[in-house]
This record gives sequence, C-alpha cells and structure tokens, in this order.
Amino acid sequence: MLPLRLILAMLLLLACAARAGEPELLEPEKAFRFSARLLAPDRLEVRYEIAPGYYMYREKFRFGAEPASVTLDGSQLPPGKIKKDEFFGDVQIYRGDMRFVLPLRMTGEPVPRFTLNATSQGCADIGVCYPPQEQKAEITRTGFSTAAPVAGLSPFLQPATGAAPRGKPQSEDTLIAELFKGSFWTLVASFFGFGLLLALTPCVFPMIPILSGILVPHGEHLTHARGFALSLAYVLGMAITYAFAGVAAGLLGTLLSSALQNPWVLSGFAVVFVLLALSMFGFYELQLPSALQSRLAVTTNKLHGGHFASVFVMGALSALIVGPCVAAPLAGALLYIGQSGDGVLGGAALFAMALGMGVPLLAVGASAGALLPKAGPWMETVKRFFGMVLLGVAIYLVSPLLPAVVPMLAWAALLIVFAVYLHALDPLPHGAPGYRKLFKGVGVISLLAGVALLIGVLSGSRDLLQPLSGLRGAAAPAAQPVLFQRVSDLSQLEGAIARAAGKPVMLDFYADWCVTCKEMEAFTFTDPAVRKRLDGMVTLQADVTANLDAHKALLKRYALFGPPGIVFFDRQGNEIKGLRVIGFQPADKFAAILDLVLN
Amino acid sequence: MLFAGAVYLFYQWQAGARPLDPVAVGQIVLAASFAGLDDQPQPLEQWRGKVLVVNFWATWCAPCREEIPGFIKFQDQYGARGVQFVGLAIDGKERVGPYAREIGINYPVLLGGLQSMDFARQVGNSRGVLPFTVVIDRKGSVVTTKIGVLRPEKLESLLKPLL
Repeated sequence: MLPLRLILAMLLLLACAARAGEPELLEPEKAFRFSARLLAPDRLEVRYEIAPGYYMYREKFRFGAEPASVTLDGSQLPPGKIKKDEFFGDVQIYRGDMRFVLPLRMTGEPVPRFTLNATSQGCADIGVCYPPQEQKAEITRTGFSTAAPVAGLSPFLQPATGAAPRGKPQSEDTLIAELFKGSFWTLVASFFGFGLLLALTPCVFPMIPILSGILVPHGEHLTHARGFALSLAYVLGMAITYAFAGVAAGLLGTLLSSALQNPWVLSGFAVVFVLLALSMFGFYELQLPSALQSRLAVTTNKLHGGHFASVFVMGALSALIVGPCVAAPLAGALLYIGQSGDGVLGGAALFAMALGMGVPLLAVGASAGALLPKAGPWMETVKRFFGMVLLGVAIYLVSPLLPAVVPMLAWAALLIVFAVYLHALDPLPHGAPGYRKLFKGVGVISLLAGVALLIGVLSGSRDLLQPLSGLRGAAAPAAQPVLFQRVSDLSQLEGAIARAAGKPVMLDFYADWCVTCKEMEAFTFTDPAVRKRLDGMVTLQADVTANLDAHKALLKRYALFGPPGIVFFDRQGNEIKGLRVIGFQPADKFAAILDLVLN
Repeated sequence: MLFAGAVYLFYQWQAGARPLDPVAVGQIVLAASFAGLDDQPQPLEQWRGKVLVVNFWATWCAPCREEIPGFIKFQDQYGARGVQFVGLAIDGKERVGPYAREIGINYPVLLGGLQSMDFARQVGNSRGVLPFTVVIDRKGSVVTTKIGVLRPEKLESLLKPLL
C-alpha cells in the first residue's frame, strides 16, 4: 500500500511538473459557476460554485435586477474568510460552494419575470485575477423555477467549450484536484500511466497464471499474432469491467469509495484473498463451476472465433479478482472521479487505467508465451509466492479493523511460513545452484524477521517497525513524544485553529495502521531541530484509526484518502497551499518545510 | 519514464495547437492606442525601437500590485539602455491615478478599461486574466507573453539579451 501511495504521489507530481510552464486556468464561468433560483416570492438564492484553487472577493459582488421595479438587497452577504492584502488591508474572500439568499422587493405592478444582473470578481491561488464579470439570469416568478445563467452577455464570458469535468467545490485545491482541471484527454492519459504503475505491483500477478492457462493449451502452435490477439481480448474484457466501475463511480459520486472503506467489504475482500491464496498453495483448483463452464464452452463453440469471447469473459472475471487488490489506490481514483459527477469521464479514465495495467499481459501474449517460461516445478514455487503475497494483502486489508496485536501475529506467522517454503530450515545440498542459495538467504531473513516480530509482540510491543523496542529496557533514552492536541471532528479542528492565536498550525492525520505515521513519529518528530520548530507552532493530530463519519469528513475536507497527511495553516488560520506533507519525510527536509510555515 | 514522456509530448502537442506569430502580434500591440492619465491618446507606436514591456494590470488585482515595484526598479535600472515599461490598467482612472502616485510608478500608465481585455486575448491571454505581460523587442516582434506574476529574476533573464 505504501509504495502505491508513493506511486500515486509521483504520478501527480509528474502531471504537475509537466504543466509548470504556463498556468492552466479555467474559463471564468467554470471557475465561478453561477446560478440563481427563486426560493420564495420575496427571496432569491444566488449560487456561486467556486472551483478549488479559486476565490471571490466579498466586497466585489453587486446584484441588480431589470426592470427597476424589482429591487434586490445584496448588502447582507455572509462573512468570508479574511485574506491579508498589503494594499487594501484585510479583505474577505469566499471559497467553495457559496449560496446567498437575497431579499427581493417589488414595487408597483408585479412582473412575471425579471433579469438578475450579478457582478463579481475573483482570482486564482496561482496568482492571477479575473476581471469583474457580469452574469445574468432570467428569473421566472411562476413556480419558482431554477434559472440557468445566460451565457455570452458579458464581454468576458466565452461560450463554454468542451466537456470539462465538473469539479465539486467542497474540496480544497490539492495536487489531485489540479489534475482534474486538465482536459479530458490529459486525465485519461494520466490514468493510463497510473495503470502502468499498478502493473508493477503484485496486483496483476494473479492474472498471469490465468493468462498462461489461456495461452498454454495452444502449445507450439501459438503464433505471436494469435498470442497478442488472445491477450488483447483478455485485457479488453478486464478494461471494460473497469470502465463500468468508472461509469458507476462517476454517477454514484463518492458512495462507492466510502463503500470500499466499509469494514464488511474489507473483510469480504480479505476472505476472497485467503481463498485465492489457498488455491495457490494447491489445496484446491480454482475454476468456474462446471455447469457454467460447460455452458460457456457450448456458447463459445457455437460462435465463430468463440475462443476470443470466452477469453474476453475471463478478462472481465479477472478484473473482479484483482479489484480488491487495487482497491486502495482505486478508492482514491474513484473518489475523485465521483466528484467529477461525469460517467463518461469515469468510464474512459478507468478503461485507460485497465489498459495500462494490461500492458505487461499484452507483452506476454505477443511473445506467444515465450516470456512465460514453460510449465514445470518452478511454477509451483511462483504460485506459492503469489499465495504468500495474497495472504499479505488480506492481512493488510483487515489490519485497520483489528487490534494491533492480531495483524502483527499474522505477519509473524506469514513470514515464518514463507521462510519454511523457501527451505530456510532445510540443509542446502552440496553444490546447490545459486538461486537455491539466494532463496535460502531470503528465507533465513524472513525467518529472523518473523521470529523477531513474534518475540516482540509476545513481549508487549505493538510497533510493527520496532518489534523489539520493548526489550531495550530503560537503557535507551526514550525520545520525548511531540505533544499533539487531539482533534476528532471539523468543529474541534476549527476551534483549535481559532485558539491558535497567531501561531501557525500543523494538522497531522494519524492512524494506528499507518506505518508512515509511525515512522514520522519515531524518526522525524523526535529530531531536535524539528522539535525546536514545532515548539513555535500549535500541533494538532487527528487520529482516524476508527474511521468514524467525523473522521471521514475531516479527511474529505482536506481531500485526503487517509493518513499519512500533514496540513499546515498560517498565522491567520488559512491552509498553506502546496505545503502538504504526504508520505515519509526525513528530519532535515521536514525542518525545511517547517521553516517555510514559520515564515 | 514512459508516462512522463507521454505527458511531455502531449503538452508539446497542446502548446503547438495555438501558435502565435510574434511579428503579427507585435504589430497588433504597436498599433494599439489608449488614453493616458491626462486623457490624451497615447499610441504604443511611439515606443517602437525600444524593448517594450506592456503590463496589463488593475488595482483590484493583488498579484499585479505585487509585481509592479519590481517593474519600477527595472525601469530605473534599464530605462537608459532602451527598456520601456508601459502599464495598461483595466481599471477606473479615479483609482489608477492615486495608486500610481502613491507607489511612484515611473513609467507611462494607460487606461485600457474592460474593453482592452479583448485586446489582451488577441495577443495571447487566452483566459483574459491579470496580470499579463507582453515583451516586445526592438524590431517590434513579441519575445514573450506571460500570464501571472513575472518574477524579477525571470524578467531580468528575458530583458538582458534584448538590450
């Protein structure tokens, strides 16, 4: 999981670095999406959906109506966030989804419809401002219907072009949100790259035996072209399944990703993984129910080139098998696709991602199976290795749900059993080949790690990284932990920021299962240079181990998938953009970031 | 690596999709004319032959105000060597005048009004945002256009070769 997070971060960095040349800016009507509707005969609601990374000035709003017999009172706008302006002093700004309710009065003859003229002005965080824009909406008074903005009335409004993703404005701007400001194809290309990276993870491994099962029966007759075509059918089947998931995510919004965080769903996936692992160890042969198999065979035999159809179906089913493994990074991707609310975009993005994941499989196919060494006893070793990996994934999936001791014991057991499979305890025969020696070495390391973990957990340690720290006794000088003030929901956080009284604030997202968080605590926060800087700040910590709704809301507020994540706020309590720390940071780098926060 | 390459190519391709002819755009800029703070029309043509830096700005634009002190310094430093800054304000005269006096703008400030954002779009400001700066060389062709704040170090590296 951690490497996956890292990969995702790298991917985003790449995407951002690539666009460093010229700022990517939204058209003003997309940056500040305007609409209005009548709530009651005497109340008008004006709404601005301000894209992440953009803001509007409170004092720049002007509302008027035509004919003049309709008067609007725009003087009672809600207070905004304070922004320092070296020339005008403190100004108030708005971000996110803003709705203003304006009192409406009519004098003289009531009119059935009128035109709302709204003037506004806003800027983007990257350091540009849009000129004041005037937007109009036709308001019909019968039935209080919603009015769509009338485009093209202001010289600054260009007609909308393309199907840019519609960003929900609740989330603050992040690197990831930046990604979604790009065009449709940028996004699809990024997801393809993401898929390529996923192909490097063990998630794709279960597919290789399946694909080899498809290719091997062809034996010597398998040509490169046919191998490629077969694997292409397989990959397409997989990709289309993902595309469906993407469409669903786009349409369902964030429902799907929160489902992926559900303990029952996680447990279910873990069980599937254990079952898969057991089949890898040869306890049983994994195949479709024979009834279904024979029906498939009958159907595919009827069809010309029917073999491709069954391969295609195999691909679709494989996607379901691999799905849970990529669930964690997928959840992040789906979360953002969900925010776009765009089914086509979601489908295309995940289709591209699956194609990326399928590239190694296509390579295997095009090589006509040459990249797959011939079946033999070595295959059993590989299968057992995959079995181990699958069990590891199962432990990883459920570890957030269980007390720390259970996953630790499970990891210890897994490492020791793995060592046994690698013949760590068997004597090497005389003149053993090099790979046997390598395996034995790896096995012994695994055995020692497993034993250390087991001793550690039995002696009371609950730290996966330092299982034996409990045995050090009093001799080891325990570094003073940073005193974090705990916050567990948004209102506590806002209160704590308000009480910070001119000090910068650091908000650290933590969970018991988050290895990076523990590394940060053990190596970075204890560093004297870091400590010195932290003393000048208010340090808050949100422990989201329990994954309550309030925790999810906190994470969502900062558009994080989960810990690790450190967010900084300046002395005015505004988040400092672009200074987030996601993932492990060594003390010197972290201290440099703290210097930026303090100044 | 493959992905980075793909992204790079994609951006190259995108950037190439809207080429601007530096000579033609330079002509558009030099043909324009705006009122000065004294209401007299000021054709930009009068600065042909100089290294001309046209900066679109407004008092309501915080990032614009951030970069102007740097421009004042550059005008001081390089004015004698043929650099001419011109500020084109998308703003009302009643705000521009006092602001220019207060911070001591030492180069001509013209009043563009909101209409001049169309002009800005013509010369490469696709989103019509501020600040926006166009640098024109002595021959009258556009050397660079910049959306957003132009940092002093970047400006220096742009101007030095043109002197």
